[in-house]
Amino acid sequence: MSDVPQLKASKVNEALTRQVANLARLELTDQEVTTFTSQLSDILAYVDQLQKLDVSKVEPLTHPFGTSIEALAPLREDIVKPFMTNAEGKPKVLDSAPEAYEDGFKVPPII
Amino acid sequence: MAIHTQYKSVTEIHDAYDRKILSPIEFVRDYLNAMKSSGLNAYLTISEERALAQAKQADMMLAQHGKVPRDKKPLFGIPMAVKDNLVMDGVRTTAASKMLENYIPPYTATVVERLENAGAISLGKTNLDEFAMGGSNENSAFGAVKNPDALDRVAGGSSGGSAAAVRAQLCQFALGSDTGGSIRLPASYCGIVGLKPSYGRVSRYGLIAFGSSLDQVGPMTQSVEDAARVLDVMSGFDERDATSSPTPKGDYFNSLQKDLEWSSLKIGVPKEYFAEGLVPDVEKSVRESLKWFESKGAKLVPISLPHSPYSIAVYYIVAVSEASTNLERFDGVRFGVRPQGASEARDLEEFYKKVRANFGPEVKRRIILGTFALSAGYSDAYYKRACQVRNLIKMDFDEAFKKVDVIMGPVAPSTAYKIGEKSSNPLEMYLNDLYTIPANLAGLPGISVPCGKDSKGLSIGLQMMSPIFTEAKLLRIAHGFEKERASS
Repeated sequence: MSDVPQLKASKVNEALTRQVANLARLELTDQEVTTFTSQLSDILAYVDQLQKLDVSKVEPLTHPFGTSIEALAPLREDIVKPFMTNAEGKPKVLDSAPEAYEDGFKVPPII
Repeated sequence: MAIHTQYKSVTEIHDAYDRKILSPIEFVRDYLNAMKSSGLNAYLTISEERALAQAKQADMMLAQHGKVPRDKKPLFGIPMAVKDNLVMDGVRTTAASKMLENYIPPYTATVVERLENAGAISLGKTNLDEFAMGGSNENSAFGAVKNPDALDRVAGGSSGGSAAAVRAQLCQFALGSDTGGSIRLPASYCGIVGLKPSYGRVSRYGLIAFGSSLDQVGPMTQSVEDAARVLDVMSGFDERDATSSPTPKGDYFNSLQKDLEWSSLKIGVPKEYFAEGLVPDVEKSVRESLKWFESKGAKLVPISLPHSPYSIAVYYIVAVSEASTNLERFDGVRFGVRPQGASEARDLEEFYKKVRANFGPEVKRRIILGTFALSAGYSDAYYKRACQVRNLIKMDFDEAFKKVDVIMGPVAPSTAYKIGEKSSNPLEMYLNDLYTIPANLAGLPGISVPCGKDSKGLSIGLQMMSPIFTEAKLLRIAHGFEKERASS
C-alpha cells in the first residue's frame, strides 16, 4: 500500500496541534487547543479512508484542467503592467494599509 | 405593493422602464428601503451612495435614449447584490471576517466591473460564511443569515446573504462564489436558481481566494433566464486571472430560445447520489423531477461515479490546503485590522500571531488542517494522495459523459435546518457537501433549480451538471424544466 508515514488517529495530540498552529502563525488558547485537537482527530480519521485506494498509477490532479492546461489556460508573457496610483502618485495599495510610511508598509522590527 | 417585489425578471424590468411606468431611481430607492428593514442580516454593507449615483445616471441615459439601450447595456438599471468576498474600489469588503472589518479595497473585481459597465446597479455587499468557509452562513463574524422562508433556519452557505437577498427580492440578482457548493446549496435551501460556472469560465480577479483550484463566481437569480443574462456579461477570458480560459463563451440567453430535442437527451442518474444520508422528502422531489424529464421523452440512464464517496475527504484536504496558503497573506502588514497591542509585539512572528487572532474558529480550524496536510512528512500521505483521488473523481465524470449529456441529482441531503442545529460538529456540517463538491473537484458547471418543497414547506433543489464549458446546453435544459414543468 502506502510506504509514507501515516498519522494514526491516536497521534493527533495537543502537542501536534500546537506545533501546526505555530507553523501557521496562529495563537490558540488552551481551550482551543483541546477542542481543535479533538475535532482534527475526527476529521483526520474521516479522511484516512483515502489510504484504502490504490493510487500507484494515478497522476495527482492539482488543477481541474489537468493535462489540458496549456490549451485551456495558456500562460502570457511575464510583463509587469502598472497598478493604480493614488492622487499623490503613490501606489494606491498604501491607502488601505493599516500603517504606511512614505512608500512602504510599517511593521514592528523583524529581529 | 412594494415596487421591488413586482418584477420577476430583467425582461419585465426593461419593459417597465421602456413604458415609463418605472424609473431606475424610484426602483433603487424602494430596494434600499426594503434592505434596511428586512431583518434577515443578508447585507453587511449597503452601498447607498453608489447605488443612487448609478441609478441617477441610468435615469439620465433613459431620458436621452427614450428606451433601454439593451445592446450596449444588457443589464441596464438592474439592481444587484455582491457577495462580500468580491472587492469593490471604495466600498468596504469584509469577507465576513474581523480581519477585514474596515478594509476598503483599492480596486474592483472584474466580474463587478463588467456587470456595472453593462448597467447593473450595486446595492450592497452580502453576508457570507467567513472567507467563504461554511455551508450555513453561521460562520460569519457579523451574525447568521436567516432563511426568508423560515426565520429560525439557515439560509445555507457560504453565499447565504446572496441567496436570502434574491429570495426576499432585496435585489434582482446576486453574485455568489462556489468552492464546494457555496452557490448551489444556499440556492437549494432558499428556493432560487444558483449556477456555478465551469472552472475558468468567469474571472476570479478580485475574488478573495479560498481554494484557488476550486473557486468560481456565479449568478444567483429568480430564474434561469436571468442567470443566463448575467452569465453572458460576467463570463469570458480576463488577462488579469491566469486561470481564466480563452475558450469561446456561449451565447447563453439567446441559446434559451433554441429548440430542445427532449427525446435525444440522456440524463445520467448516479446511484451514489441516492444512497445513505439522503432525506426521503428530498429524494421524492428529485425523483419526481426526473420522471418529468422522462415524460418529455428524455432517457434516464443509471450511472455510477464510483469514487464519489471519497469526495468530501478529498475536498477537506485539498481545499483546506489551498486555503492555508491563500490566508497566509493576512498578516496585518499590507491590509487588515491590527488588534490593540499588535504593534508592541517583540518581533514579526509575535506580531503575525496577534493579527491572525482576528480569524474565526472555522477559519482557524481549516488553516490548521491545511497546514498539517502540506507539512513535511505528511504532504505525500495527505495532499498528494488527495490530488490523486481527485483525478479518479474527474475520470469518473469523463467516463459518465461518454454515455450521457447531463447528470442530475439532489443538491443537498436535506432542506434548511435550524440555526445552531449543526454548528457544534464541523464534520457533520462537512457531510452536507457530498453532492456539490464533485463539480468543483472536476471543474464542471453545476446548477441548482428549485424542484419542490418538503412537508414543512422548505425548498428543495435539483442539481444538473454537464461537461466543462457546456453552460449553454445546461442552461437550456434547466430553463426547459423551470418553464415547462411550472406550466404543466
